[in-house]
Amino acid sequence: MADAATAVAATEMTVEMIKASQLGMKALGAGLAVGLTGIATGIAEMAIGSAAVGATAENKDVFGLVLLLTVIPETIVIFGLVVSLLLLF
Amino acid sequence: MFTPEGMTRVLIAATKSQMEPVIREMYRQHLFHIEEFVEKDKKEYEGYRIGTPLPAANETSRQLLRLRGINNAFMIREDEADSGGKQKHGHLKELVERELPSIEQEVEDLLSRRAKLDSQIKEYEQKIDALKPFSSVPIDLELLRGFQMFSVFCGYISRNISLDIPHEIIVSESKKDRFIVLVVSNQDRSIAEQALQNAQFQAVPVPEETGTAASRIGYYEGQVLAVKGELEEINRRLDEIKKRHKDFFLACNELLTADVEMAEAPLRFATTGESFIVEGWVPTERLETFRQGIHYATGGKVYVYELDQSEVEDVAPTEYHNISFARPTEMLMDVYSRPRYTEIDPTLLISIIFPIFFGIILGDVGYGAILLVLSLGLQRFLKGDEGQKLLKVLRNASISSIIFGILFSEFFGFSLPWKPILFSRHLNIGGHAGGHGPDVTSLMIMAIWIGVLQITLGRVLGMVNHARQDHGSHRIKAVMANLGWIMVLWGILAMLWAAFPMPFMPDLTGLPPVVMGLNMGSILGLVLILLGVVFIVRDSALEIVELPTILSHVLSYARLVGVGLSSVAIAMVVNFIAIGLIIEPQLESLTAFGVIIVIMGALVFVIGHLLNTILGMLGGGLQSLRLQYVEFFTKFYKGGGKKYTPFGMKKRFMED
Repeated sequence: MADAATAVAATEMTVEMIKASQLGMKALGAGLAVGLTGIATGIAEMAIGSAAVGATAENKDVFGLVLLLTVIPETIVIFGLVVSLLLLF
Repeated sequence: MFTPEGMTRVLIAATKSQMEPVIREMYRQHLFHIEEFVEKDKKEYEGYRIGTPLPAANETSRQLLRLRGINNAFMIREDEADSGGKQKHGHLKELVERELPSIEQEVEDLLSRRAKLDSQIKEYEQKIDALKPFSSVPIDLELLRGFQMFSVFCGYISRNISLDIPHEIIVSESKKDRFIVLVVSNQDRSIAEQALQNAQFQAVPVPEETGTAASRIGYYEGQVLAVKGELEEINRRLDEIKKRHKDFFLACNELLTADVEMAEAPLRFATTGESFIVEGWVPTERLETFRQGIHYATGGKVYVYELDQSEVEDVAPTEYHNISFARPTEMLMDVYSRPRYTEIDPTLLISIIFPIFFGIILGDVGYGAILLVLSLGLQRFLKGDEGQKLLKVLRNASISSIIFGILFSEFFGFSLPWKPILFSRHLNIGGHAGGHGPDVTSLMIMAIWIGVLQITLGRVLGMVNHARQDHGSHRIKAVMANLGWIMVLWGILAMLWAAFPMPFMPDLTGLPPVVMGLNMGSILGLVLILLGVVFIVRDSALEIVELPTILSHVLSYARLVGVGLSSVAIAMVVNFIAIGLIIEPQLESLTAFGVIIVIMGALVFVIGHLLNTILGMLGGGLQSLRLQYVEFFTKFYKGGGKKYTPFGMKKRFMED
């Protein structure tokens, strides 16, 4: 019964519909790639960032170093961005 | 250009009688970076002690403290000085001895008188406050206290009271509250208290005054006016003194600060009973001037000796030595860390690369113009060296942004009347958008190329740094390891080129296969990678775990495209909302109400672009800075150099 239903649905789908659906899936994937990696970066930078601010308050000289350490997890979201850009265009 | 200012270690030795002229001359020249003497530090300094301040130190410090107290009271800041001429040192010294004490005395007397008057005014005002409630009670205040048979209640109530005992009451009502004076005989006191409590009575003490409250208030207000008059006179005199002597005070401050610094300099020297030694650094170019100055000032009674670099354990302090174009960027270097003396100073490279990256990210003529105007406009308001440098960096970055805006053909997210010269970053946003869309692949490959080139440059600089700084077998290994990193990077590239054809990259897929389906390109790449890994491992095997960073660091440059595209997207969305969705539909048939909508649309447009400018400045600035700090500097740069701080000061208010 179920097989029959999908068979009917498949026959009713036009090429345009499939293309549009694929486009939507691509956009969804791109969004997920950026969004999830963004959350991951945020979580990673959370702990580093607070420690970095604390360290800078104690000793201003380490600012350059801790800025560097803080932005290291940004690589994750950049990878997400690369993947999504390649998906979209 | 790529090295800091050359420094020479100098040792000065002389008898203590020459101490003062030597200090004076060093201070005047403002060239000698003193290396502080630490007791029990080195063998050759055995028996030496830290020196004691010159005899004048105590008295001068006291004078300086007094003067700074006055400067604080006047709130004189250095930057509000008139650009008058400089005072002669000798003349100023004489004035400090002769005139400063009397002026200071006058100011201190006025200040203490002012403080006394201030507290007097406060006292009077308190008395007036205490009297105010009684102002509409027409009775002598003396009559409200000191009874034995009667109780007097004065205070505020919140509702009327009615008493059926013998009493006398005065009620004065104002808009806000109701004040009463109630007199009852002592035996009815508890009844009255009960009634008052029900009316939420708040007692007010009777002031210790004679006469009616109104007349006393008048009297005190008169007093306050008189005191205020006197205060005004004092303030006027203080202002006059400030105006007349402001530059003098600042000059005295400078003179005394210099004197105190000089008097305390021996605390950094190594001394014995009769002699002293001081070591420090002098820029090699100015060494001869320095030596002659000391010779001249002491009549040749001082021994000035140049130490060889090999005799010195400490590292020389670092003073930047850049062309004027690169000088503002020194600020960005100091944020990270000042270069070491022996290290390559990459300031010039950063001063070129940073604006280019900023331009690639925020390539928009409109935003660039806003930032350019901002950086030029703020130059007049922002005081201080750091701020000025930052603005100059921003100015260079915004000029680059305008140039890339022309290349990308962008103006606040709109396209300029020509096709993008570089690559298109225009997105398909908006109802009637169409066309090609952004050229993401080309942009990405451009970013990758930039990354590959900058990382290779970083590794090459790393080779130079290791060759310069390291010694022995480690030196050659470290240099080879850096070469190894370059080989692995280019080996990976060669293998990719051999496997996939890519735009803007050499296409090696066409080469004939040699073995196992691998062509020449792949084999070359493989050999490079293997050799590179060997070189890296020879220096440090642990570095192997860092190999994936080759990929991640190169891909990290994709942010140049990603952050840039997001900035373009925001600009285009703002344009679409403000113009496409709000303004244009109204313009088709304009009504009175429509005008308001159009104005709101314009508001959305302005606020949106303002926000995007700030975002673009932060994003463009921080991201391109991060690429320098994380991806570029980690390849070669250590930093941690000492700042060159020569003994002495820049004189603003006096001359020799």
